[in-house]
Amino acid sequence: MKTTLKNPYVYLLFVAPTVAMYFLFFIYPTITSFVFGFTNWDGLNDRKFVGLDNFANAFKDAEFRSSIWNNLVILLFSCCIQVPLIVVFSLLISHVKRFQGFYKTTVFMPSILSTSIIGILWGYIYDPDVGLLNSFLNVFGIGPIYWLAEPKWAMFSILLTNAWQWMGFYIVLILAAILGIPKDIDEAAMIDGATGVQRAWYLTVPLIRPIINVVIMLSIAGALRVVDIVLVMTGGGPAGSTEVMASYMVNKAIKYGDYGYGSALSIIIFVIALILTALYQLLIARRQERIEY
Amino acid sequence: MKKKWTSVMAASVAMSAVLAGCGGNNDNNGAASPSASEPASPSASASASASASPTASASEPAKVENFTVSLRHIQIGEPQKFRKAILDDVVKKTEADVPGLKFELDGVEDSVNRFTKLPAEMAAGNPPKVFSLFGGAGDAQKYAKAGRLLDLTPILDELGIRDKFLNVLDSFSVDGKVYGLPIGGNTEGIFYNTDLFAKYSLNPPTTWDDLIKAADTLAQNKITPFAVGSKGAWVPNMLVNTLIGRVAGEAAIPGFKSGEAKWSSPDVVAAYQLYADWEKKGYFTKGELGKEYGDMLNDFVAGKAGMMFDGSWRNSAFKNDAVGAAIAGKVAYVALPAVPNGKGDQTAVNANYGEGYGFSADLNDNELAAVKAFIKNMYSDEMQLRGLLEDGVLPSMQLSDESIAQVTDPLLKQVLDVLKSAGKTFPHFDSVVQSKVYTETETQLQKLIAGKASPQQVGDAIQKVQDAENAAAK
Repeated sequence: MKTTLKNPYVYLLFVAPTVAMYFLFFIYPTITSFVFGFTNWDGLNDRKFVGLDNFANAFKDAEFRSSIWNNLVILLFSCCIQVPLIVVFSLLISHVKRFQGFYKTTVFMPSILSTSIIGILWGYIYDPDVGLLNSFLNVFGIGPIYWLAEPKWAMFSILLTNAWQWMGFYIVLILAAILGIPKDIDEAAMIDGATGVQRAWYLTVPLIRPIINVVIMLSIAGALRVVDIVLVMTGGGPAGSTEVMASYMVNKAIKYGDYGYGSALSIIIFVIALILTALYQLLIARRQERIEY
Repeated sequence: MKKKWTSVMAASVAMSAVLAGCGGNNDNNGAASPSASEPASPSASASASASASPTASASEPAKVENFTVSLRHIQIGEPQKFRKAILDDVVKKTEADVPGLKFELDGVEDSVNRFTKLPAEMAAGNPPKVFSLFGGAGDAQKYAKAGRLLDLTPILDELGIRDKFLNVLDSFSVDGKVYGLPIGGNTEGIFYNTDLFAKYSLNPPTTWDDLIKAADTLAQNKITPFAVGSKGAWVPNMLVNTLIGRVAGEAAIPGFKSGEAKWSSPDVVAAYQLYADWEKKGYFTKGELGKEYGDMLNDFVAGKAGMMFDGSWRNSAFKNDAVGAAIAGKVAYVALPAVPNGKGDQTAVNANYGEGYGFSADLNDNELAAVKAFIKNMYSDEMQLRGLLEDGVLPSMQLSDESIAQVTDPLLKQVLDVLKSAGKTFPHFDSVVQSKVYTETETQLQKLIAGKASPQQVGDAIQKVQDAENAAAK
């Protein structure tokens, strides 16, 4: 037995199934979809090489351009509105003396639910006739709003639901960082007469900047791959107003049977995600110095 | 020695893990069990393919080999319960006819099956053995051309039922060969709530003026004139199809694919304009783009809407034991009335024989025997009549006058009367045009409803896709 475990091939044997599966379900589809992106494959008939036609069509496709824009809206909302809110909530919770565990658990709860359940749950909240939100607004005499049925409200409704789902997860991340800062730094500032807001802004936030960077990175990646909540709640509708890149790709490939074009779209999505994360890493995250207490 | 033994053990554990993964995968595909694909003993398959009566199988009970056949259907949910009962009986009968056969039923929502699941399975080459299939260029004909569907012509000849079908097999045929069989037909028209019409002293919407007056009166009284659920654009597309048939003439619809009619022509755009006008006048359910097809029936049953434009299949929902029981006996059906200055035959109605069953081209002897028996049992006078009487589905096969005279349901009688008095019939464009064109009609119609596109823009955009598809087909 002892000699067996010294044999490196034994370890190779144990990882072989995982590697085989990884290759079968990840590497192989990635390579094939890259190849399909340059063909006109419709899933049924022989595929023909069409060069860069699919890519040229994608950028001429107004619907795809609008779905890129919708992804950017989600990205901007995540980074510019959600992240500051996450930091504020984390700061508030970190200063709570009683029931801190309760608050932590409560905000974290939505992120353990499956997106389908959240989509259906919020579908009821947004229901124009009997939904919680409209019943509440009705008290103030605000007429029924068709949250998921009107183009001007649908995107906002999705953003709100998505934020509700993921904020708790990030809050817990940042909270851990805040609680990890040694208490004496804060106490020293307090003795020097700094107010709560000053301590939060000038001490805590700079000290947790690395983790905020991680949260922003994750938000960017999350915003680019958001699709499940859209498919469950609106299916990209009404009239394409909540269509994101990934849902558009799914529709094109599966519903239209346009696998060649769909694969090309998936390559474009991959490249966009790569560029955005690389830009963020190079321009912002890299310039941060390491923080040592 | 010990070392070697341990290595062998490790290897076998690893292999079994891989195999277990693969095994699970196979089950998920719902493919026939491996036993079915193994060569059956000649006598067993022979007795099965002779679609033997139970007595024949009883004579050789020892040689019966168990096998399963996957069957994808779309009869799920309360409104479909009558059709599901018919399917269940056909399945039971077929299982009794073919020794060892067990159907594995897989119920999937209609549009999920048609637009997501089946296309993906067709691409992967592993569709179920028997499945719900729609006729037309975007479905049956596309799959048939790709060699995915079983040619049913020899089976129909063998069973001697080919001539029994009405003239309804075209949308399932390619080059004279039949690849699918419609279980029945329907027409699309207006269901209206007779109680609400009486309450506001409205005439039945049999003329254009009465229809508009009814819609205006209902709207003034805060009742939605037409219930609709446009989240799936095929629902409002039903009315659009008939409006095109009325305004541009019934010949326009088959003409889109041949190039004789154009979506961007003034006539077709006028039909879209009419739809947009009704939208502006508030004739449709508020927030319709967020409503499902089922919500449309719910709103109508709840008395929130006075009318709905729907397929005649909905008539079975208004029976006393059905989902629309609350207004049973208070619903009537009429065709969309003649449109002023409309082209073509204004009594023409839409008639579709689109929904049916198709069969995988990849069948072994046992499965083929099962498919034959399924066709024999499903496409029989008995089941066609049951479909008509219990589910209100128009027969796709010839039924005797005596059989049709058994219809007692008043609503179903109205549907039959509408068809009888129709001068001509025209198809739904979803069974005529290519799937990309059809999808574009859905996309553009939702834009029209949302006020993001004008009728002319809608027509132009659809015609652009139609031109591309027509050019590609040449």
